Amino acid sequence: MAAGNDPLEMKELRAFAVREPVSGRRYTLLRLETRGGLKGWGECPETTERELAHARQLLAGMQPTAYEITWRKLSPVPRLRAAINMAQLDIVGQVAKAPVYQVLGGPTRTKARAMAAITGLTPTELLTSMDTARKTGYAAFSVPIPPTEWRNQGQAYIFNVRGRMEILRKNAGPDSDFVLDGGGQLTPGDASSISAELERFHLLWLDEPCAVSNLGAVRKVSSENVTPLGFGRWLGQSGGFQDLLREEAVDILRPNVALHGISQIRRIAALGESYYVAVAPYHDGGPVATAAALHLAASIPNFFIQQIPAVADADKLMRTAIAGDIERIKDGFAELNPAPGLGLQINEKALDKFRDRG
Amino acid sequence: MHRRHFLGGMAGGLAVAPSKAAVDCGCAQILAQAPAPGVLDRVGTKVRVTKMKVFGVSLTPDSDRPYVFVKLETNQGVVGWGEATLEGKAAAVMACVNDFSEFIVGADPMQVEHHWQSMYVHSFYRAGPVMGSAISGIDQALWDIRGKILGMPVYKLLGGPSDPAGVRGYYHARTSNPEQLQALRQVAKLQGITAIKSGIPGYYEWIETNAKITRAVKAMQMLRENLGPEIDIGIDFHAKTSPSVAAILVKEVEPLNLMFIEEPCPPENVKAMARIARRSTTPIATGERLIASYSCRELIEMGVVDILQCDINHVGGITALWKVGAMAEPSGISMAPHACEGPIGGLATIHVDAATPNFLVQEICSGIQPEDKENIWAEWLGFPAMRMVNGRFPLPEKPGLGFELQEEALAKYPFGGTKPMARVFHTDGSVAEW
Repeated sequence: MAAGNDPLEMKELRAFAVREPVSGRRYTLLRLETRGGLKGWGECPETTERELAHARQLLAGMQPTAYEITWRKLSPVPRLRAAINMAQLDIVGQVAKAPVYQVLGGPTRTKARAMAAITGLTPTELLTSMDTARKTGYAAFSVPIPPTEWRNQGQAYIFNVRGRMEILRKNAGPDSDFVLDGGGQLTPGDASSISAELERFHLLWLDEPCAVSNLGAVRKVSSENVTPLGFGRWLGQSGGFQDLLREEAVDILRPNVALHGISQIRRIAALGESYYVAVAPYHDGGPVATAAALHLAASIPNFFIQQIPAVADADKLMRTAIAGDIERIKDGFAELNPAPGLGLQINEKALDKFRDRG
Repeated sequence: MHRRHFLGGMAGGLAVAPSKAAVDCGCAQILAQAPAPGVLDRVGTKVRVTKMKVFGVSLTPDSDRPYVFVKLETNQGVVGWGEATLEGKAAAVMACVNDFSEFIVGADPMQVEHHWQSMYVHSFYRAGPVMGSAISGIDQALWDIRGKILGMPVYKLLGGPSDPAGVRGYYHARTSNPEQLQALRQVAKLQGITAIKSGIPGYYEWIETNAKITRAVKAMQMLRENLGPEIDIGIDFHAKTSPSVAAILVKEVEPLNLMFIEEPCPPENVKAMARIARRSTTPIATGERLIASYSCRELIEMGVVDILQCDINHVGGITALWKVGAMAEPSGISMAPHACEGPIGGLATIHVDAATPNFLVQEICSGIQPEDKENIWAEWLGFPAMRMVNGRFPLPEKPGLGFELQEEALAKYPFGGTKPMARVFHTDGSVAEW
């Protein structure tokens, strides 16, 4: 087919930045439109008109089915790669009239376990955030560690961490589960102390306990305790996950949906599987990336749980308004969406209503 | 004859020069020099295997683990029996046994090591459970013949016994009910049983919840509480757990002083299991799914295991199980062979146990009360093959593996075909290990 006539080729690539009214969380929806009129949607944290122009050049003449091949080609615009990957797969699914998880060889499950990333500095704030999430069906929660005052933490800090986790479990019941999110803030020594203190608490895992500045540092934490460790939200390359696996420093891989899209995380999951290690993609964005993550979850064998930001009611209304009711949680699990592609119902009027005006 | 088969199959059995097509692999030179089975005839005996028969035996028509028995007949009238049972893959292993008939029929059955090497090495692809089980069946039958011709039970040929009273064994608990466990403790004491094995409840995901981890720990604590401190307790994780989950469990049950935790994670990945073992004092046992001694090297060398559990029906028979024991001993690793198939492999493994200095305990997949299958075994063999007396499996005293078996006895239990093993799924429908 002559260039320019292929109905699957890109006609237009546009970005729509939005902002949640309560949390202030920003993300950008990307619309990839084909000559034939199909629209695929993806999501990235942010972009610029210059990046978009560059991406349009790189995508010219490419079919969305070449979503794996496109990845490397898009190296010059790393912030857009994940979003374009989602949009391409959305289109591939629409062409195939199949949900993305089916295009990718799934489903491997009927529903996907979900976890709310709750927020708050004090136990009271955390309880409020957790209660909101529990009401929408969550049974697992990612909890931020308290802010650290010193470089090395004393016993009071460790007791404080343990105390707030016990308060949360007491309130949510023994069948609730928790990830403790270290946010990369602790030293390896403190991370190991907290990991040891919480061994019998049975966290799902301790997330990003310390920075992955070098593998020896994280190996210290993983070799001293049996609390499972999660790493990966800041790792942009799959080789970083291979290093963590090889160093036996990680129990659950946390590739960021906003950095890796769908197909790169599938490749990272394939790597993890041979180490008997599962994947729980990190996600702090909007509903389009949630939809992408759920299709991913239903296409791989070693998915464990999908993190979704816990949001206030007004933010939840916005998320539903712009993309459809993607984040439906029941008894701790997210439903799969069997509609073709990513199964989104994007409302462009709502995108304008919630437009990020800077 | 052998060479003709390789080179002249299409020419009505006549020897022909290798065609150009046949030498394209670059191995024609090797094939031309391929030794016939009788290559060691000059230093061998006049005994020859004259026939090989394979029996699929389903105790119930829908059994997912029909026994696969191998019978070798010889020109001396002596016959040998072996077991090649491979759970869930019966027809495949029967076909594989038959694939080896050219290796065995016409061969001197006394040269068991030579034939083991030939079956394993000349199969090129090496290992795998189907081939490992097929070799196991043939190997056991060769040992049975050897013992009968040399007039000794196999354990004596192997340098045993370590204890004339037999080899120590364990039964499965078959209950998780506290009262029944207490009753089991009493019966075990009366019968002199010193070890019991059980499992952990449910199926486990890659990462586990507080509820599931707590339940598993409580189940193990409950076993110790009700069985008491005198009985050694093994707990089989059956590779249901990931390394991340198993690491938590084996550390948390350290105060129970278990005899072992078995298969804390699947077996393909030795470093993953090492990561569990490194962070706990609970002894780790594994090996029932491993084929040939080669597959045990990393487990031994990396200090992963305390106990190896290779199965005589899969690892490569008597020859291979003995080698695993030999290579484990210098590292202080004990042997506790798996046995969950039929009575021939069960008896064969007792012979190896009795001659193994680093032997710990022998499994039988049965409860302290004899089960239906054992009544059938007794009907076949004329004695209760795998029942302990004073906590030990008695040693078979007749030459060879120590039993007589008539083909007609098996006819009541015709092969019902291969049936899949259990298929279990998590709450979200994804595939679970059992």
